[in-house]
This record gives sequence, C-alpha cells and structure tokens, in this order.
Amino acid sequence: MLVTWHYRVRNGLMEKFDPRARWIFSLAFLFAVTMFWDARFLLFFFVLAFAWYFSSKAKWKETRRGWLLIGFILFMMIVVNTIITGGGAGGVVPKGGHLVWPAGLFLLGWKIPFDLTWERLWFAICQIMRISSISAIFLIIPYTMDPRQYGVTFRGLGLPDSFAYSMELAFRYVPTLARDFTTTFDAQRARGYEIERVKGNIFKQIVRVAPLIVPVTMNSIMMGEDITDAMDLRCFGQRPRTWLYQLNYHWQDYVLISLGIAMLLVGIFSLYVFHIGGFWVPAFFIH
Amino acid sequence: MTDLPLIVENLSFKYRRRSELALDGVSFSLQPGQVMLIAGSSGCGKTTLMRCINGLIPNTYTGEMSGSIRMFGKSITEMEMAEISQTVGTVLQDPERQILGSYVLNEVAFGLESLGISREEIVPRAEKALQRLNILYLRDRETFGTSGGEKQKIALAGVLAMEPRILLLDEPLASLDPASAHEALDAFRQLADEGIAVMIVEHRVEDVLSIHPELVMYMDEGKCAYLGDSKGLMDVVDYHRIKLPATVVMERARKDPAPVFNPVVLPKEDKTPLIQFEDVHFSYNEDSPEVLKGINFEVHSGDVIAVLGHNGSGKTTMVKHALGLLKPTRGRVLIEGLDTRKTTVAQSAHTVGYVFQSPSQMLFAPTVKQELAFGPTNLGYSPEEIQKNIDWAIETVNLKSELDMPPLALSFGQQKRISIAAILAMRSRILMMDEPTAGQDYWNYQAFMDAILQMPGFDSIIFITHDVDLAVIYATRILLVYGGELVADGTPQEVLKDEKLLRSCRVLPTSLLKLNMEYLPRTGKFYRAETLAHLQS
Repeated sequence: MLVTWHYRVRNGLMEKFDPRARWIFSLAFLFAVTMFWDARFLLFFFVLAFAWYFSSKAKWKETRRGWLLIGFILFMMIVVNTIITGGGAGGVVPKGGHLVWPAGLFLLGWKIPFDLTWERLWFAICQIMRISSISAIFLIIPYTMDPRQYGVTFRGLGLPDSFAYSMELAFRYVPTLARDFTTTFDAQRARGYEIERVKGNIFKQIVRVAPLIVPVTMNSIMMGEDITDAMDLRCFGQRPRTWLYQLNYHWQDYVLISLGIAMLLVGIFSLYVFHIGGFWVPAFFIH
Repeated sequence: MTDLPLIVENLSFKYRRRSELALDGVSFSLQPGQVMLIAGSSGCGKTTLMRCINGLIPNTYTGEMSGSIRMFGKSITEMEMAEISQTVGTVLQDPERQILGSYVLNEVAFGLESLGISREEIVPRAEKALQRLNILYLRDRETFGTSGGEKQKIALAGVLAMEPRILLLDEPLASLDPASAHEALDAFRQLADEGIAVMIVEHRVEDVLSIHPELVMYMDEGKCAYLGDSKGLMDVVDYHRIKLPATVVMERARKDPAPVFNPVVLPKEDKTPLIQFEDVHFSYNEDSPEVLKGINFEVHSGDVIAVLGHNGSGKTTMVKHALGLLKPTRGRVLIEGLDTRKTTVAQSAHTVGYVFQSPSQMLFAPTVKQELAFGPTNLGYSPEEIQKNIDWAIETVNLKSELDMPPLALSFGQQKRISIAAILAMRSRILMMDEPTAGQDYWNYQAFMDAILQMPGFDSIIFITHDVDLAVIYATRILLVYGGELVADGTPQEVLKDEKLLRSCRVLPTSLLKLNMEYLPRTGKFYRAETLAHLQS
C-alpha cells in the first residue's frame, strides 16, 4: 500500500511564506509557548496555532492519523500521568491545593484514596492547550511544505549541506520505510501473527514485536548502505553543493519572522522581567 | 590504445575481513560505443569488479587491491572520487534505493547539485537527460509513485545528467517485467551507439544478448573464465550456470543425461475448490482507482499456477486477497468455503502459506529452529506437533545442519529455503510465492524451483513471476493479469500460444517458449530445453 505525506498545493495562507520564515516562526512559537503556564497566555497561543492550522486548508481525513497519535500521547500524559498518578506537574503546581473529592472517591461502596486537586486539573487543561498548540503548528508542516524544499530551507537556516540534505532524505524515505513495515507486517500476519495478541509485561511485549522490528531494522540498515553508495557515486559531500531551488524572502516573510521574534521577546520579558505567565488558576475554578 | 575508456590489467582485490580473493587477476579493455556483458553466478566477483571501477573501492569499501585500472589514459589512483563519478556513471541494482529525490527533476539533478554546477546549467542538463530516455513527461512527478520501469529510467537519467563516458549497470533488469526490460535494454544500446562504453552485470544473459553486446565476460570465483564475443560464450559456458538461448541449451544438452524432474503436486479426484475468487474488486481507498476489476477464478488441488503480468498489473494485490491480507471492496474470496471477510488471516494461514519476495522481510528469530516454530505456534499447534513439523520442514529443505544458526547469517539462497520451510512447518495446503526466483542466479533458482515442485506437502502451488520461462517449465496453469483484470486463465499451452495477447499484456515470448511452440504438436506439453533435447533425440 502506498504511504505518502499527502503534500499537495492547497493555496493556503502558510504557502505564501518562505519555508525558512515558516520554520523560524514555528520554532519561535515552540519556545515562546513553553515559557508559559498561564492559561490566559496559552489561550492566545492556542487560538493562534489553530488559526494557522486551519488556514492550511488540510482536510481532517488527511491529518486524522497524526491527530490520533497526538491524542494517544496526550491521553497518556494528561489522564494517566497528570491526573491519575499526579506526575508531570512537579515544580509547576504548588504542593497541596484543593481536593476535588475531599471526602475521598467512592466507587461501588469502596473508598478510593484519590487526591486529585483542582489545581492539577487546571494544570492538565493548560498542558492540553500547550501540546495541542505546538502539535497544530508542526503537524501541518509535511502536508503543506513542498518536500523539495526541506534541504534548501535548512541550508538557508545556516545548517551544513550534509545535515540539510539528510532532512530532505528523511522525508524521501519515510514512505519507503512505511511500505517496508507494511510488507513485513503482512508477511508475519501470513504466518499467523496477530499484533492484537501481544500482551504481558513490557519485556514480553518487546519480544512479541520482534517479528516486526527485526526485519524492518535489518532492511533499513541494508538500505542505508545502498543510499550511501548512491550518494557517494554522485559526488555528495565532495564539493559545496548547489541547491536546485532558490528561496527569496519577501515582505510577508519579514512580518512572520517579526511576529515570531515578538512572541519570544514577550515571553522572555513576561517571565524574567515582569514575572508573569507562570502557573495560574482562576478563582472560580477552585471554588 | 592507452586512451581507451577503460583498461583493467591484472586486477585483484581482497576485502579487509575476508581471507579469499574476491577478484583474481582480471584483465580486459573496453572501447567507446561497446556494450560489455558481465555474467556469472552469485559471489563470482561481478559486484566487486564494478566497485573497483566506480571508485567505491577503495573509497567506501577497503581491502587489498593490486593491478591497475586506467580510464581514458589516466590511472584511477590519480583521480578523485568526483572525477571518477563524472567519468563512470553507475546504476545500482535496486532503483528504489538509489533514487534520492522526492521528485523526478530533483533526483536527476542530484549529482549536478553535488558537483556545485550553477543552477542555470543544472535544469537544462537534467531535462536533456530525461529527454534522452523519453521520460521528460515525468519531470515533475513524485518518484515514489512511479512504476518499476520508470524508476529504472529515472535512476539512469540521474547518472546520464553527469555526462559519464562509461556506464556501469548492476543487474538493471532485476525488477522489471519483460517489456520494461527490453525497453531498458534498447535504451542501453542506444547510449552505446552514441559513444558511451556500457558495462552490464546481469543474470538475465539471454535478454542482454538480444542487444548484441560486443564483449562478454564470464566470471567464476573471482576470475575471468571467458572473455570474447557472445557466440564464443555459448560454446564455453556451462549452460546450467547461466541462461543461454533455448536452442543453444537444447543442442548442448543432447550430450548430457536427461534431467530428472518428478513434480509431486498432482491433480486429485476431489474437485472442491480450495480458493474461489468471485467478482473481486479492490481499491486501496475510496478516492483511488480500482486495482482489481472483477476477478473470477478457482484454485483446485493439483494446480501449479503461475501469475504473469506487467509491473503494477495487480498480481500481488490479487494473491494477497487469496490469504485475506486484503479484503475485496466488492465481490468475495472464499478459502475452503469460508469468506475471508469473516475469517482472520491466522485462520486462513492453515490453508494458504505465503512466502514474500525477500526472505529478509520475514526472518527475525535468533535461530532457524525458532524461526520455524513461529508460524505453527501462532496457529496453536501443540509442542509435539510443532517439533514434528519443524523436523519435517527442515529435512525437506535439506538444511538440518543449520537448525541452530541465526537465519539472517545464512546465504541468500539458504534464507530463501528457510522462508519456505517456515511455511512448510505451518502445514498449509497451498504454497503461494511472490517472485520466488528474485535475487537468485540461474543455477540456484532452477535448483530451488525443482526442489519446491518435488517437495511433498502442498496440494497446490501459486507463484507470481515476470519470468515467462518459469511459467513454461513449472506451471500447469497460467493466470495472465493486465490492468487489474484477469485476461487469460488456462494451461500454459493455451495461454502462451497467443503471442499477440502476451505482447498486449507486456509479456514477451522467450526463446524457450518459441522452441516449445515449435515442438508442441509432437510433445503435447511444455518442457525445459534440456528435456526437449532428449525427447527429440
């Protein structure tokens, strides 16, 4: 089965920008958003991220798989880690707080010691806003950025030729790797292997997925050797490289980069000069 | 004389971690416009020779080298890799792994970009290379979605854009259907006629002979066993080792004993179908075109079925339905009467064992024994049954001595047999194989197919192949697929006699098929050339 990134020209807003400007903006957004735990600031980033995301004109059907993966990660981080076990909030949420069930949580007559606080619950909401904002900004990149421009973009951002091209190469071979994985998966299913039956502790589960992981890894290593040969045979890395496509900044790119830098500066000043933007819980939520 | 494109003198090479020589005193020279065929069994030193010429040895692969290589009068030791790469263009065996660009123009421009050539010069040179191979229409296409034949040409265009004067082609026909292979060969001949010296390493010797190579070298254990014209090759080389034209094989085989071949998959009284395809349609998703368009056929005990068709015709998609790996979007597939929509693949595996093209796609266990136990364990056999099945399977493929070895440490041929044994151990009734001879030389693939067909344990065998001769020799029935439709289903004699139909399906008649058609009135069925020789004498 063919697996691709579903990149196509969509004439969305983000395609009007130079990809370097997009990456600078996206990275600035990432660093800026990670400075805040205040939901009022995070809400701004959340709205901005999804406005940016929806301007891409990508369809839900195309990005569904990516969002399912992010949803799974969010579930593990928020529900399992933050809410149930109380982890992940250390250093942000002050100790103590207001219990959601002060008298304890009763389930089928049993009293369960569950010390979930309103503060931790609010922290979880902030966490959701942060991660989903960052995801919206970065998930949309492979669907809206021409795969031919990865190399020249990273080169234009000052990275060396070898690193810049390896990024382009990664995007080239992701579909091939995905296809190899599908082939191995089918080959093992043909031998009665059912991934649904992979159960037991973590070590048993690792052993049980070996029929998928080992062949894919071995094939990737062999493929890596061929790719290296192919690159060597066409002089890669022997001279300074010319990139086929040329990127040029326009006025809108400077606007976007300025916005990214402004976000960063606001973050830095808020946090280190005005000491605002840290974890904050609205009073109505606690009472 | 000294300014010839290539002069190799007494070349020897030993890889750093090997004790034996990979190349031993090889000498030859190549003139502009010549096509040179290099033939030989797996491991004979062909690839090492190419690596010495294209500079991968010693730049990437190290070892001890002696002798000399001169290109246009200059010793290779005086040339930098960039200079070698502009003189010698190399197309590797698997274009999928050679193509580095996501889009065709980027791929073709890659070498020029690496050389730091100006952007204004790159695009016209890349377009010229595409035009030279008549694939300029692919310029803005994604490389991943192109067909096998197109990928081969794209890889070649990427090399031609660097304007090499020597071209090395490592098994360029390996993944191509017959028509695509001949188109590729015509392109190579044309390049030679334009003045490029072309070296082709290939197992499909008969195909390459069709473009009349001026020079043929046959290698054996790192040495040059024959160097001369193609006519001389026919007299010198063991016809069991490389595939020669059927008339030549028949002539030479008269002097040898007749081959013994007793297939054990034979028709049975029970006519209950093992697999039924009923108006099967399939597309990968609702927006994409149909890959299968109303397929109908049945598989019975005793059938040895060859599935023939061009690259992308839907052959693999079709056989994946026969195991339930894919489910029809319309119509149904029944395995021993059960609809694949209502059964799991694991349940279907009791009936159908599927061996994928490359053993590296499935082998994973630390030992052969564990590898063979994997399938039957998944199918719920008892430990006693599993042990019994492993013993029988390993005996059948004659690899008992390797039972405690890691399967991935074995040779390719042995890995292939282990992958068959893994299916045998599941006691499936039908053996299904995708390109069973891919990656094997002629000697190994004939021995492999002979062994499979004479192996007890299967009620039916189905194999996908591009190799018409494989269908001629081993099949009792042929399914011809074209554009997702089953255009012919019958005995090899019925299906393969229609040359016009074959050509329209991009399947080309071979010398063995032509010979068999000639003798068919007397023989009544198809045979290998060695057998025909004795039927006539």
